Amino acid sequence: MSTVAADIPVIELAHPLPGFPHDQRFALVRLDDDGVLMAFRSLEREDLQFVVVPPSPFYPDYAPEISDDVVTDLEIGDASDVLVLLVVHAGASLADTTVNLRAPLVINTGTRRACQVVLDDPDLPLAAPLMA
Amino acid sequence: MLVLSRRVGESIVIGDGAEQVTVTVLEVRGDVVRVGIDAPRSVRVHRAELLEQLADANATAASPSETAVASLSEALKGRSQ
Repeated sequence: MSTVAADIPVIELAHPLPGFPHDQRFALVRLDDDGVLMAFRSLEREDLQFVVVPPSPFYPDYAPEISDDVVTDLEIGDASDVLVLLVVHAGASLADTTVNLRAPLVINTGTRRACQVVLDDPDLPLAAPLMA
Repeated sequence: MLVLSRRVGESIVIGDGAEQVTVTVLEVRGDVVRVGIDAPRSVRVHRAELLEQLADANATAASPSETAVASLSEALKGRSQ
């Protein structure tokens, strides 16, 4: 399975990220050669970015169910266009670094629309260790 | 805040036309009230406390220091080798 994502210069959020109601446009930028560590960077505010990673190297079984309303909002026509990324909270060390499994970032690489999807599953933590 | 009293089976309607949201009281048991929400797809419905937790989680995750990102990158590189 490929975990390498290409840079995406402009991504439009279908709904703002909770806590960031005014930030609409972002870019996805690779931070390493492996394409694992990426930055989801605001195009409007220079100081705003999130570190994101694909789930598969860390949680190979992670397969969130994307509801119909998200499919509609992101104009998803083809499942292969869907890129799921986890928001990382970078701690002082790798052991303190967590990812949000409850609310992944879902990007339609075709239309370049994205949103943070709040999953229904209450067992998924908002802060799971990156290295389980 | 508008305060309304409703019995089980009764509803309130918020908005009109295509954006209409109907909230129905389904069951009241002790201090737990079950409500049903009928909303168009464009209207997001979330538990308030989850949205707050998510906003906090996003705020905590936002804009990590360059040092934190560099050391994370280094740690992950070490791992994949």
